[in-house]
Amino acid sequence: MERTEYVAYGEPAYPEKLKKIHARPPGLYVRGKLPDPEAPAVAIVGARMCSAYGRSKAREFGRVLAANGVQIISGLARGIDGCAQEGALEAKGRTFAVLGCGVDICYPRENYRLYEQLIREGGVISEYPDGEQPVNWHFPARNRIISGLADLVLVIEAKEKSGSLITADLALEQGKDVFALPGRVTDPLSMGCNRLIAQGAGIALRPEELLEGLGIPFGKSDGKSKKMKIPLEKNEVSVYACLDLVPKSVDEIMAVTALPIQEVFQILLSLQLKECIEEAAKGKFVRRDFPV
Amino acid sequence: MFSSVLSACVCGIESVPVHVEADISDGLPVMNMVGYLASEVKEAQDRVRSAMRNTGIRLPVKRITVNLWPADIRKAGSAFDLPIASAILGALGMVPADRLVNVLIAGELSLHGEVNPVNGILAVAAGAREWKCDCCIVPKQNAREAAAVPGLTVIGVQTLAEVIAYLNDETALQPEYVNPEELITEGEAEGGMDYADIIGQEAVKRAAEVAVSGRHNLLLIGPPGTGKTMIAKRIPTILPRLSMEESLEITKIYSVCGLLQKEDGLIRKRPFRSPHHTVTMNALAGGGRIPRPGEISLAHLGVLFLDEVPEFSKPALEILRQPMEERVIHIARNRGNYTFPADFMLAAAMNPCRCGFYPDMEKCSCNTAEIKRYLGKISGPLLDRMDICAEVPGMEYERLTDRRKGESSAAIRERVSIAHEIQRRRYEGTPFRYNAELTPAAIGRYCTLGKKEEAFLAAVFEKLDMSMRGCHRVLRVARTIADLDGSNRILTKHLSEAVMYRMGDRKFWH
Repeated sequence: MERTEYVAYGEPAYPEKLKKIHARPPGLYVRGKLPDPEAPAVAIVGARMCSAYGRSKAREFGRVLAANGVQIISGLARGIDGCAQEGALEAKGRTFAVLGCGVDICYPRENYRLYEQLIREGGVISEYPDGEQPVNWHFPARNRIISGLADLVLVIEAKEKSGSLITADLALEQGKDVFALPGRVTDPLSMGCNRLIAQGAGIALRPEELLEGLGIPFGKSDGKSKKMKIPLEKNEVSVYACLDLVPKSVDEIMAVTALPIQEVFQILLSLQLKECIEEAAKGKFVRRDFPV
Repeated sequence: MFSSVLSACVCGIESVPVHVEADISDGLPVMNMVGYLASEVKEAQDRVRSAMRNTGIRLPVKRITVNLWPADIRKAGSAFDLPIASAILGALGMVPADRLVNVLIAGELSLHGEVNPVNGILAVAAGAREWKCDCCIVPKQNAREAAAVPGLTVIGVQTLAEVIAYLNDETALQPEYVNPEELITEGEAEGGMDYADIIGQEAVKRAAEVAVSGRHNLLLIGPPGTGKTMIAKRIPTILPRLSMEESLEITKIYSVCGLLQKEDGLIRKRPFRSPHHTVTMNALAGGGRIPRPGEISLAHLGVLFLDEVPEFSKPALEILRQPMEERVIHIARNRGNYTFPADFMLAAAMNPCRCGFYPDMEKCSCNTAEIKRYLGKISGPLLDRMDICAEVPGMEYERLTDRRKGESSAAIRERVSIAHEIQRRRYEGTPFRYNAELTPAAIGRYCTLGKKEEAFLAAVFEKLDMSMRGCHRVLRVARTIADLDGSNRILTKHLSEAVMYRMGDRKFWH
C-alpha cells in the first residue's frame, strides 16, 4: 500500500512554480513523485465527453511531448485528460495528475488502471487530505494547480462553457502560454478552443510547435507519428480511405465502397487488428491517429 | 334418475376431464350444485333453468342435484352450462343415455337457450381426443377452432334445442371439418410486412438474418426513429413457416387467453409480441390467482420484442432469464403449479443513451455518467444471453428517397430455412436444436477451428480485449454464419463477421 506524503509550503520539495501563483495551496498531498522542477511541463486539458478526434489528438500530443522529455500535467478525468496521460505513459514519459479529492481516492473510478500506473511512474497530487470526497467545487479550484505546475497549457477540446477554459484563464493570470487545438467551426466541442485562438491563444497544429514554444529542439519522434508503412490490401485501402475521425457506420462504408457486407465486416476487423481504425461506438468506425 | 356427461376444465393450457352428473329425486323443488365450484359455475343453475324453460322444457317439481367431479379441482369458466343442461336432460330421459357416452360437451348458455362461445376450446378438444371421445359438442363459433384437432368429430351447435334434436337423432348436424394444411397456407400473407420495405440498413438486416438462423437473441441499438421497431416487427416474416404441430401449440395458448379471432380456427402466423415497457412481472411471465399465460408464452415459437429495454423494470427483465434457458416457465400458485411453454426469440431495442444520440457529439447532451447509468440498467446476465448486437444507424436524406427495393423476406426465409435444416441434422439426438443453445462444452465439439482460424481468433481475443464468455458468443455466432454459408468449417470470414456482432463498448458494459 502506497503511503501519502505531505509537502508543506516552505519545505524544499514544495514546487517552485506553485510559490508564485495566486492562492497557492498551503501544502500538497502526494502519492508517487512531484514533477521535476528542472524539466519542462505541459498541462493538457479538455472535455470529459470528447470526440474521437479529441481523444486521438490528446493521446498524440501526450505521447510526442512526453517522448521529448516534457512532463504532462492533467486531471485524470474521463475523456481528454485521461487520454493525454495514457499517451504520455505509452511513450514512457512522466505524467502527473492533480485531483479534486484525496489522493487515496481514484475518481473517476474507471480510470483505476491509469491511477495505479500514475502512482508508480509519475505522481498523483492533491491539496486535499486523504479521504476527502470529490465534490464539484473542488474541481475548478484544483485547475489553478494544474496550470500552476505547467509552463504551458494546451486545451484539446472544450465547449463554450467548460472547466478547461477556467484552466486557460488561470494560466493567463499566472502568465503561462496557452495553446488550443483548432477544430471545425460547427463542432460544439471545438467552440471553446476556436474562441481561445480568436482571443490570441497559440494554435496547436502539431506537437512540434509546442516544443518550439518551450524552446526544446524537436528531436525524438515517438516512432508512431511517423508515417508507418502498414501493408494494406486493395480493398482495405478503399475502406480505410473512406474513414476519418467522424464515426461512420457499416452502411455508410458499404455505400461508398460498394463492397458486399461480409467483406466489409472482414476488412473492418482486419484494419482494427492492424490498429489502423477503431470502433468509436457500437457499429461506428473512425481512423486512429489521424496524421497531421 | 341419474345421468352423467363428460366435460373439461382448462388448467393452465391443458385441460382435465370433469364429469358432470345430475340426479333427480323426490324432495323439495330445488337445484343443488356441488363439486368445488367457482361462482360463475354456481350461477350456471339460473342460466340452465331459464334456458331450458325458454326452450320449452318444464323442469319437474323435484329435487335436482348436480355434481362435478373430481371434486378436488376447482371448476372455473363458463363452459359448464351446456354439459349441466345435457346431464339434467339425460336424467329427465329427454335424451337417450347411450348418446351421452363418449361425448364431450362444452359451452355457455344464454337465458334464451342459445349457445355462446367459450375460451380454451382447443385445449378441451385436444383433451377429448386424448380421452378417446368419439364426438365433441361445442358452440358453433368455436367449432373451427376445435376441428383443428385431427381425428375428432366436432359438432357445432347454436341452441339448446339443436342439441336436444341432435342427440335424439331428429336432425343431422354436419361435423365441422377444416383442412389444417389449407389453414396453414391460407395464413401466408404476413400482414403486408416485408423486409423489402426497409431502405438501406443492410448491416442490421444481415444481423437479423444471422440471429434468426441460429436463434440467437438480438439487441438493436440506435438513435430514435431509425427503424429499430420496423426491423424487429419483420423478424417473423423470415422465420420458417409454422408446422401443424407448432400452430396447434400456439393456438392452444391463445385459445386459453381468449385471444383467438372469431372464426379464425388456428393461429397461422408466428406471434410477435411487443409488450409496453410498463409491463409487470406477472403480465410478462404469466400469473394471476388462476395463472394465465403471460407475454413470454404468447410469444411462444415467435418473437418477443422489448422496445426501449432499459425502461423495463429490473424484476420484469430478470424474470426472462430462466425461461430463456428452459424454454418453459413454471408458475407456482396456491392452487397448483403450472407450466407454460415459452420458447421465444428475444429481440430488444434501445437508444445508446438517454437522449438517444450518443456517439454523435453534436446532438448528444448526455455526460459519461448518464450514459453509463442508462446502459447499466440492463443486467450482465441478460446481456450475456444476447449473442448479436447490431447498431441501427441514422440515415441521410438522399438514402431515404432511394426507392430501390431491398431483398424480400421470402428470399431471406429461404436461406434461414436451409440453415435450420443443417442445424437440425447436426444436432439430431442431442438436447440442442439451434446454435444459440450450445453450451461451452458443446462449443468445443461443434465449433472446431482450423490452425489458421485458431490463430486469428487468438489475435482478435488479445487485441479487442474480449472475455472468455464473449469468445464463446463469437464462436456460436460464427457457427451460424458458416451454416448460412453452407460451409462445414468455420472460416476466418465467418469469425470476422461474428466478432463484429459482439457487444460494443466495453467501457460501458463490463
